[in-house]
Amino acid sequence: MTSAEDISKMFEDESKKIENLFDVADSKTEMSIHEIVEAYYQVMNVSSMANMLKQVNPELELKKKISKTEKLISQRFDSIIHPRIIQNLSASIQELTKKLQSGNSGEKSKEQTELDTMLFDELRQSMSTKEFVEQYENGLSHD
Amino acid sequence: MIDQFAKNLVELKKEFVRVYDGKSQTPEVIPTSKSELFPIEEPHLELLHEFAAKNPIHYNSFEKKIGSVDCIVYEGDINKYWLNSIQHGSSKAPFSPTWIMSSYVNTLLAKSLGYSEVIDIGSGDGRIAFCARVLDMASYSIEIDDMLVDLQNRLNGIVDFYSYCSDAVLFDYSSLNLTKPIFFIGGLAQMGGISLASGVLKSIRSISHLKKKSGWVFAGTLSPKYAPDPKNEAGWGTLIEDNDLKPVQHISLPTAWTLHEPDETQYIFAESY
Repeated sequence: MTSAEDISKMFEDESKKIENLFDVADSKTEMSIHEIVEAYYQVMNVSSMANMLKQVNPELELKKKISKTEKLISQRFDSIIHPRIIQNLSASIQELTKKLQSGNSGEKSKEQTELDTMLFDELRQSMSTKEFVEQYENGLSHD
Repeated sequence: MIDQFAKNLVELKKEFVRVYDGKSQTPEVIPTSKSELFPIEEPHLELLHEFAAKNPIHYNSFEKKIGSVDCIVYEGDINKYWLNSIQHGSSKAPFSPTWIMSSYVNTLLAKSLGYSEVIDIGSGDGRIAFCARVLDMASYSIEIDDMLVDLQNRLNGIVDFYSYCSDAVLFDYSSLNLTKPIFFIGGLAQMGGISLASGVLKSIRSISHLKKKSGWVFAGTLSPKYAPDPKNEAGWGTLIEDNDLKPVQHISLPTAWTLHEPDETQYIFAESY
């Protein structure tokens, strides 16, 4: 059986991971798709953990940790990092779309067509990441 | 015979995927001549090659022996059509073609089941309508995306099929004076196909003489990537049952979207009962 101390320790470790991911996010002008997905999964993971723990009336010490982490997510992620990610993804989608549209007007060589395919893949990836990120936003608006 | 033709095509595709080292996202192959494995009439084969060679989605082609079959490989790129369809939000499912050879086998089967008219719904570059016309069937293609309809019009001189730029759900089918039609629904059930098929089924059911005479072809998938339908039929079971249809034939054929998949696209031929 897991002790209350173990649970508290686990929550603290997962919260620490979040803080590290936020530090990475703040240190860069643009995050990779992998870093974005990792940050959202960790935020969702820790938020669910916090909700679950709150329902079983945790000890005061753990209550404080939960509250601190929730504040961190709200103030650092929801208010700053998440809007910045959406903004960057939107800008990147717009720029790639424009670039690909301008290159679509005439005949292209085989090499150029296959090079453009990589840009199209990048565009598709940015679009599906934006959809994923918007799901998080939908969750926030229903909270 | 058609069944074996389809199986041989699947084998050819598997061998092609094994040996193909190009970078095209949508390559496809057509045998260069009639053979025991592909007993396709020479004039038909020539027309299929003409369609492929003139089709602007293909940017390269070359001869290659695949297994024991001499073929021409056509390398395609459909990205700009995808970009156009998502920009205008006009499409329920983005364009991703079936193979030209698969379109031919499908229409061959439709003809053998006694249908006289093919209506290709969400027709993309019009290859199913084209193949139906090659087989001397009356043929109509309905596509909502104007860029794809322009592409069809560039190919329409090879054989004449009727090409319409329209929302298939709102199209007036009574204007075609159909007698024994079969409708090919573009798009997997899970990729907008259900909504498209439901809309077209509703329109056809309102034309009393077509209600019992129409055939339907649905493109299904067995891929675990997509949610299965509780009534099976590769994603179409519930729609088939809800619309009093019964499956009469199944055929498995290569498409662009199953290029690297172990299972081919499952085409379900259904009729009213």
